[in-house]
Amino acid sequence: MSMISREVAWRVFAREFNDSDLMIESEDDRSPSYLVTPLGAKINRVYLVGVLTECENIGTDEEPMWRARVTDPTGTYFVSAGQYQPEVATTLANMEPPIFVAVVGKANTYEPDEETFLTSVRAEMIKEVDEEQRNIWILEAARSLKNRLEIAMEASKMEDISVEELVNLGFEEKLAEGFKKASEHYGELTFEKYDRMLEDSLRYVLPEYESQTIEDIEKESKTEEEGDEELEELIVDLVSEFEEKEGLENGVEYERVKEKVMEEKDLTQEKFEEVVNNLRSDGRLYEPVLGNLKVIG
Amino acid sequence: MQEKEKLAPHVDDINRALNGKLSEEQIEEELRTYTERYGVPLGSAKRSIVKKYEGDPQELYVSTEKAIEDIEGDEQGLNLKCRIVSINEKEIEVDDEPKQIWYGILGDDTGTIPFTLWEEPSLELEKGDTVKIENAYANTWNDKPQINIGSKASLKEIDSEEVPEFDREAQKLELKDLRENMRNLDITARVTSIERKLVNGQDDKEKELYSGIIADETGKAQFSAWHDFGISEDDVIRVKGGYVRSWRGIPQFSFDDSAEVEFLDGDELPLTEDLEDVSVYTISDLAKRGGAVDAIVDAVMIDIKSGSGLIFRCPECRRVIQKGACRVHGKVDGEPDLRVKGILDDGTGALTVIMNRELTEEVLSYDLDKAMDTAKDAMNQEVIRDDVEEKLIAQPLKVKGNITSDDYGLMLVADDVEYKSIDVEKEAREMLDEVRV
Repeated sequence: MSMISREVAWRVFAREFNDSDLMIESEDDRSPSYLVTPLGAKINRVYLVGVLTECENIGTDEEPMWRARVTDPTGTYFVSAGQYQPEVATTLANMEPPIFVAVVGKANTYEPDEETFLTSVRAEMIKEVDEEQRNIWILEAARSLKNRLEIAMEASKMEDISVEELVNLGFEEKLAEGFKKASEHYGELTFEKYDRMLEDSLRYVLPEYESQTIEDIEKESKTEEEGDEELEELIVDLVSEFEEKEGLENGVEYERVKEKVMEEKDLTQEKFEEVVNNLRSDGRLYEPVLGNLKVIG
Repeated sequence: MQEKEKLAPHVDDINRALNGKLSEEQIEEELRTYTERYGVPLGSAKRSIVKKYEGDPQELYVSTEKAIEDIEGDEQGLNLKCRIVSINEKEIEVDDEPKQIWYGILGDDTGTIPFTLWEEPSLELEKGDTVKIENAYANTWNDKPQINIGSKASLKEIDSEEVPEFDREAQKLELKDLRENMRNLDITARVTSIERKLVNGQDDKEKELYSGIIADETGKAQFSAWHDFGISEDDVIRVKGGYVRSWRGIPQFSFDDSAEVEFLDGDELPLTEDLEDVSVYTISDLAKRGGAVDAIVDAVMIDIKSGSGLIFRCPECRRVIQKGACRVHGKVDGEPDLRVKGILDDGTGALTVIMNRELTEEVLSYDLDKAMDTAKDAMNQEVIRDDVEEKLIAQPLKVKGNITSDDYGLMLVADDVEYKSIDVEKEAREMLDEVRV
C-alpha cells in the first residue's frame, strides 16, 4: 500500500541535534528533507520539551520573526517561528520565560559558509507545560537515545556496517539505515560522550540529582574544561569589542569572530564551534540573526 | 531455461492466435523474454504477446497449468492437475428446473481450493481421484478464490503420481503477525466474542457466518468462520488451514469447512480479561500491519487539527459544515456536535485520532450545551478547540480503538481515552540500571 505517512516527531536531546551537520535535501517537492544526527536519527520533525529561557521578536509586528531558546539537560534548542506560523508567533508573544514548554517543529539548518553549520527548529506548535511533562519527555528522549547507542555498539563490532545484519539483530530498518548513513558521513566516532549524556539526563529526573551533579560539575570543570574558560572569555570579549567599536545592533558575523580567534589562538575549527556552542547554551552569546553572534546582557 | 518441448505447444498456440504474423522463432524468443527475463507467468505472457501483435487472446486454446496457491480469482482458461479432497452432490434450481451439481475441495502440493462442477462429469469422480482439469475458470466467493468447472471444461483421470501429496504444514503464527493474503495458517487463540449472522450468498441463498474477536498473548483479530464449528465465547481453539483477508488494512482471520478446528483446554491461554492489555502496538508496527482491531496505542498528542472542538453537522448527511453551508446540501440548519481530530505520535510514527462527542465531553469535562454557551459568550466556536488543545497537547495518552489505513495513512477511531500515568523516577532508575550493565 502506498501510504503518505506523516513524518514522525523525534525525541532527541539538544546536544545530539546540534552536533549534526548532515542534511539530506529532498529530491523533489514531495519528499521531505532530513537532518541526520551522528547516531543516525533521520530527523524531519522533532518533539521537544524544555525550559523556554528567552524569546524575542526580531521581525516587525506585521512580519514577526520569533526566536526562542529552549534548554534541556544537554544543551539548547534554537527555535524559530515566522509569519507562516502565526499561531506559534502569537503564543510566543504571550509567553514570559522561564517556563516549561513543549515544541513540535521541523529540523532546519543554516550554512552561512562552507564550514559553518547551524541547526534550529522551525516551530509548528508551542505550548506551556509543567515539570511532570518535561520529565516524561526526558525519559522518552533517553529511551530513543539508548536505542541508537545500542545500534552503535552492535555496528562497532562489524567490519562493514550492514543494515541487513542490524535488522536481523532486531533493530528497526529505518534506524539501521540512518545509522549507516551517519557513519559514512561522520566517520568513526567515539560514543562515550553520548553514553554519558544518557546517564546524566536520566539522573536529572531523580530527586537526588542536585547533590550528585554539583560534585560532578566540579570534577568535570577541573579536568576537562580548564582551557576552555580562557577561550570563552576571549570570544565574549572579542564579540563585545566588535559590537561597541562598530555599533553593531545585530551582532557580529560568526566568520569574523572565527577568523580573529583562530589568528590569536592555535585551535581547530571544531574546537571553536564547540566553545561557541557552549557559550550559546550557557546563555552568554546568542544569534540575533542567523549567522551573527551577540553578547547577552 | 525452459525446455523447448515444454514451450512448443504454447508457441504453436500463439502462432495460431496470431495467424502466422510472427515466426515460431520470434514467438519463442518473446515468450522466453516475458517468462524468463521478466518472470511473467506463462498464461499472462501468452496473452500479452498475442495482444502486443494485435491478435485476440480469446483465440488461445492451450492454457497453462497452475498451482492452486497461485489462483487468485477471476481467471479464465485454467488448467490444473489435482486431487479430489472431497466431493458432494446437491440439487439446485435453475430457471425453476431442478439441476444436479457437485461441489467440494481440490488439492495439489501447494494447497486446497473449493470447486463447483456445474455439469454431469464425463467420468465418475470419487474422493482421492487424481484428475487433469482443462479450461476451468476461477472467481471469488467470500473473498476466497474458487474453481468452477463448466460446460467448456474437460476432465481427465491421471496417474496419482502426477499430483504430489499436499505435505505443507500449516504455518504457525501469532495474531500480531497476521498479514493480508496469508493462507494455510495454524492459529491458536481464545474466542473473546462471537455472533452468528446470516449473509446473502450465492444464488441469494442465506449463509451462516460466525464472526467475532479472537485473542492470543500477542494481539487480537477479527475472525470469520464460514461454517458452524460449534465455537462459543471463551473457547480456546486451534485452527489449521485459515487464511487472512483485510478490510481497510485490518487483517481478519477467516476459515471455512476446509479448515480443521480443534478445541483446546481452557488454560492453554490467559483469560479474556487478562488478554485485554496485550494489544498495545507501536505506531511503526501498526504502519507495517496496516491496522488492528481493539488496539491500544501509547502516544503523545502533538497536534489538534482544525475541525476539532465545537462543530456543526449537516442534518441530512452528517458532514461537517463550513459557515452554515453543507458541501452537498447547501445552506442548512447545522446541528452542533463535539469531536477531536488530532495527531498522536509515539516517537516511532504518527497517526490521526478521532474522538466522538462522548469522549470529547469527557476530555473537556463539560458537555455540548455548556460548549454552546461558552462559544456564544465568546462569539467564537474556536474557543472550544483551544480548550481541547489545552487539555490534550503534549499529553501522554493511552488510546484504545480500531485502527484502519488508507492512502492518507493510519487512522484510529477512539473507543476509550485515558491520561497515561508514568512513574518517571521508577522508569529512569530502571533504565539507568540497564545502561550501567
